[in-house]
Amino acid sequence: MFEHVVIGQYLPGRSYLHKMDARSKLASVFLLIIIVFMTNTWAGYGLLWAGAVLVYLLSGVSFRYIRKGMFPIFLLIIFTFILHALFTQEGDVLVSVGVFTLYEGGVEQGLFIAFRLLLLVFFTSLLTLTTSPIDLTDALEQIFTPLKRFGVPAHEIALMMSIAIRFIPTLLQETEKIIKAQSARGADFSKGTWKERSQAFVALLVPLFVRAFKRAEDLAFAMEARGYNGGEGRTKLRKLTWTLRDSAACAAVVIFGICLFFFRS
Amino acid sequence: MQDNRLVVMLEIAFMTGLAIIFSYIEISAPWAMGGSISFIMIPIFIIAFRRGWKAGVTTGFLTGILQMLFGAIIVHPIQFIIEYPVAYAVLGLAGLFVKGDHFKKAVPAALITLGVAFGTLLRFIDHFGAGLIWFGEYAPAGMPVAVYSAVYNASYLVPEMLITIVVVILISKYRPQFFYEARRMQSAA
Repeated sequence: MFEHVVIGQYLPGRSYLHKMDARSKLASVFLLIIIVFMTNTWAGYGLLWAGAVLVYLLSGVSFRYIRKGMFPIFLLIIFTFILHALFTQEGDVLVSVGVFTLYEGGVEQGLFIAFRLLLLVFFTSLLTLTTSPIDLTDALEQIFTPLKRFGVPAHEIALMMSIAIRFIPTLLQETEKIIKAQSARGADFSKGTWKERSQAFVALLVPLFVRAFKRAEDLAFAMEARGYNGGEGRTKLRKLTWTLRDSAACAAVVIFGICLFFFRS
Repeated sequence: MQDNRLVVMLEIAFMTGLAIIFSYIEISAPWAMGGSISFIMIPIFIIAFRRGWKAGVTTGFLTGILQMLFGAIIVHPIQFIIEYPVAYAVLGLAGLFVKGDHFKKAVPAALITLGVAFGTLLRFIDHFGAGLIWFGEYAPAGMPVAVYSAVYNASYLVPEMLITIVVVILISKYRPQFFYEARRMQSAA
Protein backbone atom coordinates (compact mmCIF):
# COMPACT_ATOMS: atom_id res chain seq x y z
CA MET A 1 0.00 0.00 0.00
CA PHE A 2 2.80 2.43 0.85
CA GLU A 3 5.69 0.90 -1.05
CA HIS A 4 5.74 3.57 -3.72
CA VAL A 5 4.76 6.58 -1.66
CA VAL A 6 7.17 9.47 -1.90
CA ILE A 7 6.06 12.29 0.34
CA GLY A 8 7.13 15.68 -0.87
CA GLN A 9 9.04 16.68 -3.96
CA TYR A 10 12.34 17.91 -2.53
CA LEU A 11 15.43 16.73 -4.39
CA PRO A 12 18.71 17.30 -2.54
CA GLY A 13 21.41 18.91 -4.65
CA ARG A 14 24.26 21.39 -4.78
CA SER A 15 23.08 23.82 -7.45
CA TYR A 16 22.91 27.61 -7.20
CA LEU A 17 19.23 27.41 -6.27
CA HIS A 18 19.84 24.68 -3.69
CA LYS A 19 22.48 26.79 -2.00
CA MET A 20 20.27 29.86 -1.79
CA ASP A 21 18.69 30.84 1.52
CA ALA A 22 15.07 29.69 1.82
CA ARG A 23 14.01 33.25 2.70
CA SER A 24 15.43 34.72 -0.49
CA LYS A 25 13.86 31.91 -2.53
CA LEU A 26 10.45 32.57 -0.97
CA ALA A 27 10.78 36.30 -1.62
CA SER A 28 11.90 35.72 -5.22
CA VAL A 29 9.04 33.34 -5.97
CA PHE A 30 6.58 35.79 -4.45
CA LEU A 31 7.93 38.57 -6.70
CA LEU A 32 7.91 36.28 -9.73
CA ILE A 33 4.23 35.46 -9.14
CA ILE A 34 3.44 39.19 -9.18
CA ILE A 35 5.54 39.62 -12.34
CA VAL A 36 3.74 36.75 -14.08
CA PHE A 37 0.38 38.35 -13.31
CA MET A 38 1.61 41.72 -14.56
CA THR A 39 2.72 40.46 -17.97
CA ASN A 40 0.31 40.89 -20.84
CA THR A 41 2.28 41.06 -24.10
CA TRP A 42 4.08 38.55 -26.33
CA ALA A 43 7.42 40.26 -25.68
CA GLY A 44 6.81 40.09 -21.95
CA TYR A 45 6.00 36.38 -22.03
CA GLY A 46 9.04 35.78 -24.25
CA LEU A 47 11.26 37.41 -21.63
CA LEU A 48 9.56 35.45 -18.84
CA TRP A 49 10.20 32.16 -20.64
CA ALA A 50 13.83 33.16 -21.09
CA GLY A 51 13.97 33.87 -17.35
CA ALA A 52 12.33 30.53 -16.60
CA VAL A 53 14.91 28.68 -18.71
CA LEU A 54 17.72 30.51 -16.89
CA VAL A 55 16.27 29.61 -13.48
CA TYR A 56 15.81 26.02 -14.64
CA LEU A 57 19.49 25.83 -15.66
CA LEU A 58 20.50 27.24 -12.27
CA SER A 59 18.41 24.64 -10.44
CA GLY A 60 20.19 21.54 -11.74
CA VAL A 61 16.89 19.64 -11.47
CA SER A 62 16.23 17.07 -14.18
CA PHE A 63 13.33 18.01 -16.44
CA ARG A 64 11.69 14.66 -15.67
CA TYR A 65 10.83 15.79 -12.13
CA ILE A 66 9.44 19.13 -13.24
CA ARG A 67 7.26 17.37 -15.79
CA LYS A 68 6.04 14.99 -13.10
CA GLY A 69 5.18 17.88 -10.78
CA MET A 70 3.33 19.74 -13.51
CA PHE A 71 1.37 16.80 -14.85
CA PRO A 72 -1.74 17.15 -12.62
CA ILE A 73 -2.29 20.70 -13.80
CA PHE A 74 -1.70 19.94 -17.46
CA LEU A 75 -5.25 18.84 -18.27
CA LEU A 76 -6.56 21.96 -16.60
CA ILE A 77 -4.27 24.15 -18.69
CA ILE A 78 -5.36 22.51 -21.94
CA PHE A 79 -9.00 22.78 -20.87
CA THR A 80 -8.65 26.49 -20.08
CA PHE A 81 -6.84 27.10 -23.37
CA ILE A 82 -9.64 25.44 -25.36
CA LEU A 83 -12.30 27.42 -23.47
CA HIS A 84 -10.62 30.70 -24.30
CA ALA A 85 -9.79 29.80 -27.86
CA LEU A 86 -13.41 28.89 -28.55
CA PHE A 87 -15.29 31.55 -26.63
CA THR A 88 -13.29 34.74 -27.16
CA GLN A 89 -14.44 36.40 -30.33
CA GLU A 90 -11.95 39.12 -31.14
CA GLY A 91 -9.70 39.84 -34.10
CA ASP A 92 -9.62 38.06 -37.44
CA VAL A 93 -11.20 34.68 -38.05
CA LEU A 94 -8.50 32.00 -38.33
CA VAL A 95 -10.47 28.79 -38.98
CA SER A 96 -14.17 28.03 -39.10
CA VAL A 97 -15.41 24.45 -38.72
CA GLY A 98 -19.16 23.97 -38.36
CA VAL A 99 -20.42 25.93 -35.37
CA PHE A 100 -16.90 26.57 -34.07
CA THR A 101 -15.02 29.61 -35.23
CA LEU A 102 -11.48 30.24 -34.11
CA TYR A 103 -10.57 33.91 -33.76
CA GLU A 104 -7.07 35.31 -33.56
CA GLY A 105 -7.86 37.11 -30.31
CA GLY A 106 -9.16 33.87 -28.78
CA VAL A 107 -6.00 31.93 -29.57
CA GLU A 108 -3.86 34.76 -28.23
CA GLN A 109 -5.93 34.97 -25.06
CA GLY A 110 -5.82 31.20 -24.61
CA LEU A 111 -2.05 31.08 -25.04
CA PHE A 112 -1.52 33.93 -22.59
CA ILE A 113 -3.62 32.19 -19.94
CA ALA A 114 -1.88 28.86 -20.56
CA PHE A 115 1.55 30.53 -20.33
CA ARG A 116 0.58 32.25 -17.11
CA LEU A 117 -0.55 28.99 -15.49
CA LEU A 118 2.50 27.09 -16.72
CA LEU A 119 4.89 29.74 -15.43
CA LEU A 120 3.17 29.96 -12.03
CA VAL A 121 3.27 26.20 -11.53
CA PHE A 122 6.84 26.06 -12.85
CA PHE A 123 8.24 28.67 -10.44
CA THR A 124 6.40 27.33 -7.40
CA SER A 125 7.38 23.72 -8.09
CA LEU A 126 11.04 24.72 -8.53
CA LEU A 127 10.84 26.24 -5.05
CA THR A 128 9.62 23.00 -3.45
CA LEU A 129 11.97 20.89 -5.62
CA THR A 130 15.08 22.75 -4.44
CA THR A 131 14.16 23.66 -0.84
CA SER A 132 13.57 21.14 1.93
CA PRO A 133 10.31 21.58 3.88
CA ILE A 134 12.28 22.07 7.08
CA ASP A 135 14.22 25.01 5.57
CA LEU A 136 10.97 26.51 4.32
CA THR A 137 9.53 26.17 7.83
CA ASP A 138 12.50 28.01 9.32
CA ALA A 139 12.15 30.72 6.71
CA LEU A 140 8.42 31.10 7.37
CA GLU A 141 9.09 31.32 11.11
CA GLN A 142 11.49 34.21 10.57
CA ILE A 143 9.19 35.96 8.12
CA PHE A 144 6.29 35.75 10.56
CA THR A 145 8.24 36.59 13.73
CA PRO A 146 7.31 40.31 13.52
CA LEU A 147 3.65 39.23 13.76
CA LYS A 148 4.31 38.01 17.32
CA ARG A 149 3.35 41.48 18.47
CA PHE A 150 -0.17 40.79 17.18
CA GLY A 151 -0.40 37.49 19.02
CA VAL A 152 0.69 35.15 16.21
CA PRO A 153 2.65 32.34 17.90
CA ALA A 154 5.26 32.07 15.13
CA HIS A 155 7.68 29.97 17.17
CA GLU A 156 5.07 27.46 18.35
CA ILE A 157 3.67 27.05 14.84
CA ALA A 158 7.15 26.47 13.41
CA LEU A 159 7.92 23.97 16.18
CA MET A 160 4.76 21.97 15.46
CA MET A 161 5.51 22.01 11.74
CA SER A 162 9.12 20.87 12.24
CA ILE A 163 7.99 18.04 14.51
CA ALA A 164 5.32 16.99 12.02
CA ILE A 165 7.89 16.95 9.20
CA ARG A 166 10.44 15.11 11.34
CA PHE A 167 7.95 12.41 12.34
CA ILE A 168 6.25 11.82 8.98
CA PRO A 169 8.75 9.07 7.99
CA THR A 170 8.43 7.50 11.45
CA LEU A 171 4.63 7.56 11.32
CA LEU A 172 4.76 6.15 7.80
CA GLN A 173 6.89 3.24 8.98
CA GLU A 174 4.52 2.67 11.85
CA THR A 175 1.57 2.64 9.46
CA GLU A 176 3.29 0.00 7.33
CA LYS A 177 4.04 -2.07 10.41
CA ILE A 178 0.44 -1.95 11.65
CA ILE A 179 -0.87 -2.80 8.17
CA LYS A 180 1.35 -5.89 8.17
CA ALA A 181 0.40 -6.84 11.72
CA GLN A 182 -3.33 -6.52 11.03
CA SER A 183 -3.02 -8.35 7.71
CA ALA A 184 -1.36 -11.20 9.60
CA ARG A 185 -4.45 -11.28 11.82
CA GLY A 186 -6.68 -11.49 8.78
CA ALA A 187 -7.61 -7.88 8.04
CA ASP A 188 -8.07 -7.25 4.33
CA PHE A 189 -7.84 -3.67 3.09
CA SER A 190 -8.49 -4.26 -0.57
CA LYS A 191 -11.30 -6.81 -0.65
CA GLY A 192 -14.68 -7.36 0.95
CA THR A 193 -17.85 -5.37 1.24
CA TRP A 194 -17.83 -1.70 2.01
CA LYS A 195 -18.55 -2.40 5.67
CA GLU A 196 -15.77 -4.98 6.03
CA ARG A 197 -13.29 -2.66 4.44
CA SER A 198 -14.09 0.31 6.66
CA GLN A 199 -13.75 -1.99 9.66
CA ALA A 200 -10.35 -3.10 8.40
CA PHE A 201 -9.36 0.56 8.15
CA VAL A 202 -10.54 1.22 11.69
CA ALA A 203 -8.34 -1.68 12.80
CA LEU A 204 -5.47 0.22 11.21
CA LEU A 205 -6.41 3.69 12.44
CA VAL A 206 -7.10 2.94 16.11
CA PRO A 207 -3.61 1.56 16.91
CA LEU A 208 -2.09 4.29 14.79
CA PHE A 209 -3.83 7.02 16.80
CA VAL A 210 -3.07 5.29 20.11
CA ARG A 211 0.62 5.19 19.22
CA ALA A 212 0.63 8.78 17.97
CA PHE A 213 -0.96 10.13 21.17
CA LYS A 214 1.44 8.07 23.26
CA ARG A 215 4.38 9.38 21.29
CA ALA A 216 3.17 12.97 21.74
CA GLU A 217 3.03 12.46 25.51
CA ASP A 218 6.47 10.82 25.63
CA LEU A 219 7.98 13.58 23.56
CA ALA A 220 6.42 16.21 25.84
CA PHE A 221 8.04 14.51 28.86
CA ALA A 222 11.37 14.28 27.06
CA MET A 223 11.28 17.94 26.05
CA GLU A 224 10.36 19.09 29.55
CA ALA A 225 13.08 16.94 31.05
CA ARG A 226 15.52 18.81 28.82
CA GLY A 227 14.18 22.16 29.96
CA TYR A 228 12.03 23.21 27.04
CA ASN A 229 9.92 26.15 28.04
CA GLY A 230 8.70 28.08 25.08
CA GLY A 231 10.20 30.30 22.44
CA GLU A 232 11.96 33.09 24.33
CA GLY A 233 15.74 33.06 24.04
CA ARG A 234 16.02 29.69 22.33
CA THR A 235 19.00 29.04 20.10
CA LYS A 236 18.84 27.12 16.86
CA LEU A 237 20.64 24.09 15.52
CA ARG A 238 20.03 25.00 11.91
CA LYS A 239 20.76 28.61 11.05
CA LEU A 240 19.70 30.30 7.85
CA THR A 241 22.49 32.37 6.32
CA TRP A 242 21.88 35.14 3.84
CA THR A 243 24.84 35.44 1.47
CA LEU A 244 25.82 37.55 -1.51
CA ARG A 245 24.23 34.86 -3.67
CA ASP A 246 20.83 35.68 -2.15
CA SER A 247 21.14 39.43 -2.47
CA ALA A 248 22.21 38.95 -6.10
CA ALA A 249 19.24 36.69 -6.86
CA CYS A 250 16.70 39.05 -5.26
CA ALA A 251 18.21 42.06 -7.02
CA ALA A 252 18.07 40.18 -10.33
CA VAL A 253 14.39 39.38 -9.84
CA VAL A 254 13.58 43.01 -8.98
CA ILE A 255 15.48 44.30 -12.04
CA PHE A 256 13.77 41.66 -14.17
CA GLY A 257 10.39 42.85 -12.89
CA ILE A 258 11.20 46.50 -13.66
CA CYS A 259 12.32 45.56 -17.21
CA LEU A 260 9.12 43.58 -17.77
CA PHE A 261 7.04 46.49 -16.54
CA PHE A 262 8.07 48.42 -19.65
CA PHE A 263 6.85 45.58 -21.86
CA ARG A 264 3.28 45.93 -20.64
CA SER A 265 0.73 47.20 -23.06
CA MET B 1 2.55 18.59 36.82
CA GLN B 2 2.99 18.12 33.15
CA ASP B 3 2.58 21.12 30.92
CA ASN B 4 -0.68 20.40 29.16
CA ARG B 5 -0.14 23.04 26.51
CA LEU B 6 2.99 21.25 25.30
CA VAL B 7 1.15 17.92 25.07
CA VAL B 8 -1.62 19.53 23.01
CA MET B 9 0.98 21.15 20.74
CA LEU B 10 2.68 17.84 20.15
CA GLU B 11 -0.61 16.05 19.56
CA ILE B 12 -1.38 18.70 16.94
CA ALA B 13 2.02 18.06 15.34
CA PHE B 14 1.48 14.29 15.22
CA MET B 15 -2.05 14.60 13.87
CA THR B 16 -0.73 16.95 11.19
CA GLY B 17 1.85 14.32 10.24
CA LEU B 18 -0.85 11.64 10.06
CA ALA B 19 -3.08 13.91 7.96
CA ILE B 20 -0.25 14.38 5.47
CA ILE B 21 0.31 10.62 5.31
CA PHE B 22 -3.42 9.98 4.90
CA SER B 23 -3.55 12.45 2.04
CA TYR B 24 -1.56 9.82 0.15
CA ILE B 25 -4.11 7.07 0.79
CA GLU B 26 -6.30 8.08 -2.07
CA ILE B 27 -9.21 6.50 -3.75
CA SER B 28 -8.39 7.63 -7.22
CA ALA B 29 -11.31 9.02 -9.14
CA PRO B 30 -11.65 9.99 -12.77
CA TRP B 31 -12.58 13.53 -11.76
CA ALA B 32 -9.42 13.87 -9.65
CA MET B 33 -8.32 17.17 -11.08
CA GLY B 34 -6.67 18.32 -7.90
CA GLY B 35 -9.43 16.87 -5.77
CA SER B 36 -9.66 13.22 -4.81
CA ILE B 37 -11.15 11.20 -1.99
CA SER B 38 -8.70 10.68 0.85
CA PHE B 39 -8.64 10.17 4.61
CA ILE B 40 -6.95 13.50 5.23
CA MET B 41 -9.89 14.88 7.24
CA ILE B 42 -9.93 12.07 9.84
CA PRO B 43 -7.00 13.22 12.07
CA ILE B 44 -8.25 16.82 11.96
CA PHE B 45 -11.71 15.78 13.19
CA ILE B 46 -10.25 13.45 15.82
CA ILE B 47 -8.16 16.21 17.38
CA ALA B 48 -11.06 18.69 17.08
CA PHE B 49 -13.32 16.34 19.07
CA ARG B 50 -10.52 15.47 21.50
CA ARG B 51 -9.04 18.89 22.26
CA GLY B 52 -11.61 21.37 21.04
CA TRP B 53 -11.96 23.57 18.01
CA LYS B 54 -8.80 25.64 18.52
CA ALA B 55 -6.60 22.55 18.31
CA GLY B 56 -8.64 21.33 15.34
CA VAL B 57 -8.30 24.60 13.45
CA THR B 58 -4.55 24.71 14.16
CA THR B 59 -4.10 21.13 12.93
CA GLY B 60 -6.02 21.90 9.74
CA PHE B 61 -4.07 25.10 9.17
CA LEU B 62 -0.73 23.33 9.59
CA THR B 63 -1.83 20.46 7.34
CA GLY B 64 -2.63 22.96 4.59
CA ILE B 65 0.69 24.79 4.99
CA LEU B 66 2.66 21.52 4.99
CA GLN B 67 0.89 20.33 1.86
CA MET B 68 2.01 23.56 0.28
CA LEU B 69 5.61 23.04 1.36
CA PHE B 70 5.56 19.51 -0.02
CA GLY B 71 4.50 20.84 -3.39
CA ALA B 72 1.25 22.59 -4.14
CA ILE B 73 -0.65 23.64 -7.21
CA ILE B 74 -0.65 27.41 -7.09
CA VAL B 75 -2.43 29.27 -9.84
CA HIS B 76 -3.51 32.45 -8.08
CA PRO B 77 -2.23 34.30 -5.00
CA ILE B 78 -5.58 34.21 -3.21
CA GLN B 79 -6.45 30.73 -4.41
CA PHE B 80 -3.49 29.15 -2.63
CA ILE B 81 -4.36 30.73 0.71
CA ILE B 82 -8.00 29.68 0.64
CA GLU B 83 -7.43 26.28 -0.95
CA TYR B 84 -4.65 25.16 1.36
CA PRO B 85 -4.52 26.57 4.90
CA VAL B 86 -8.09 27.83 5.13
CA ALA B 87 -9.81 24.83 3.51
CA TYR B 88 -8.43 22.49 6.18
CA ALA B 89 -8.51 24.94 9.07
CA VAL B 90 -12.31 25.30 8.84
CA LEU B 91 -12.69 21.54 9.39
CA GLY B 92 -11.45 22.05 12.93
CA LEU B 93 -14.56 24.08 13.74
CA ALA B 94 -16.32 20.70 14.06
CA GLY B 95 -14.93 20.81 17.61
CA LEU B 96 -17.55 23.46 18.43
CA PHE B 97 -20.15 20.68 18.55
CA VAL B 98 -18.45 18.91 21.43
CA LYS B 99 -18.88 20.84 24.65
CA GLY B 100 -17.15 20.45 27.96
CA ASP B 101 -19.93 18.24 29.37
CA HIS B 102 -19.04 15.41 27.01
CA PHE B 103 -15.79 14.68 28.73
CA LYS B 104 -17.28 12.07 31.05
CA LYS B 105 -18.80 9.93 28.33
CA ALA B 106 -18.38 9.05 24.70
CA VAL B 107 -19.33 11.66 22.13
CA PRO B 108 -22.72 10.71 20.62
CA ALA B 109 -22.65 9.55 17.01
CA ALA B 110 -25.20 12.22 16.08
CA LEU B 111 -22.87 14.98 17.24
CA ILE B 112 -19.96 13.46 15.32
CA THR B 113 -22.10 13.35 12.19
CA LEU B 114 -23.17 16.95 12.71
CA GLY B 115 -19.62 18.13 13.37
CA VAL B 116 -18.12 16.36 10.36
CA ALA B 117 -20.94 17.53 8.11
CA PHE B 118 -20.54 21.10 9.35
CA GLY B 119 -16.77 21.09 8.83
CA THR B 120 -17.10 19.58 5.37
CA LEU B 121 -19.79 22.10 4.44
CA LEU B 122 -17.41 24.93 5.34
CA ARG B 123 -14.67 23.27 3.27
CA PHE B 124 -17.11 22.97 0.39
CA ILE B 125 -17.98 26.67 0.58
CA ASP B 126 -14.27 27.44 0.63
CA HIS B 127 -13.43 25.35 -2.45
CA PHE B 128 -16.56 26.66 -4.16
CA GLY B 129 -15.34 30.21 -3.62
CA ALA B 130 -11.88 29.27 -4.88
CA GLY B 131 -13.55 27.80 -7.98
CA LEU B 132 -15.31 31.09 -8.62
CA ILE B 133 -12.04 33.00 -8.28
CA TRP B 134 -10.31 30.51 -10.55
CA PHE B 135 -12.93 30.87 -13.26
CA GLY B 136 -13.24 34.58 -12.74
CA GLU B 137 -9.54 34.79 -13.52
CA TYR B 138 -9.18 32.14 -16.18
CA ALA B 139 -12.51 31.49 -17.91
CA PRO B 140 -14.12 33.65 -20.56
CA ALA B 141 -17.17 35.63 -19.47
CA GLY B 142 -20.61 34.06 -19.72
CA MET B 143 -19.88 30.52 -18.53
CA PRO B 144 -22.17 28.92 -15.89
CA VAL B 145 -19.21 28.77 -13.54
CA ALA B 146 -21.11 28.59 -10.25
CA VAL B 147 -22.94 25.41 -11.25
CA TYR B 148 -19.78 23.77 -12.50
CA SER B 149 -17.81 24.66 -9.35
CA ALA B 150 -20.60 23.38 -7.07
CA VAL B 151 -21.04 20.07 -8.91
CA TYR B 152 -17.33 19.43 -9.21
CA ASN B 153 -16.54 20.11 -5.55
CA ALA B 154 -19.55 18.18 -4.26
CA SER B 155 -18.59 15.20 -6.44
CA TYR B 156 -15.59 14.38 -4.26
CA LEU B 157 -16.44 16.08 -0.97
CA VAL B 158 -19.74 14.23 -0.40
CA PRO B 159 -18.23 10.71 -0.68
CA GLU B 160 -15.23 11.85 1.36
CA MET B 161 -17.55 13.20 4.05
CA LEU B 162 -19.57 9.96 4.21
CA ILE B 163 -16.43 7.81 4.55
CA THR B 164 -15.05 10.17 7.20
CA ILE B 165 -18.30 10.08 9.21
CA VAL B 166 -18.41 6.26 9.18
CA VAL B 167 -14.75 5.89 10.14
CA VAL B 168 -14.85 8.52 12.92
CA ILE B 169 -18.02 6.98 14.40
CA LEU B 170 -16.45 3.50 14.30
CA ILE B 171 -13.32 4.85 15.98
CA SER B 172 -15.40 6.48 18.70
CA LYS B 173 -17.21 3.17 19.20
CA TYR B 174 -14.06 1.09 19.59
CA ARG B 175 -12.05 3.72 21.41
CA PRO B 176 -14.31 6.27 23.13
CA GLN B 177 -11.40 7.27 25.37
CA PHE B 178 -9.89 9.21 22.48
CA PHE B 179 -12.51 11.87 22.93
CA TYR B 180 -12.86 12.14 26.70
CA GLU B 181 -9.69 10.84 28.35
CA ALA B 182 -7.73 14.00 27.65
CA ARG B 183 -10.56 16.31 28.66
CA ARG B 184 -11.15 14.48 31.93
CA MET B 185 -7.48 14.75 32.81
CA GLN B 186 -7.60 18.41 31.96
CA SER B 187 -10.57 19.08 34.19
CA ALA B 188 -9.10 17.05 37.05
CA ALA B 189 -5.85 18.99 36.96
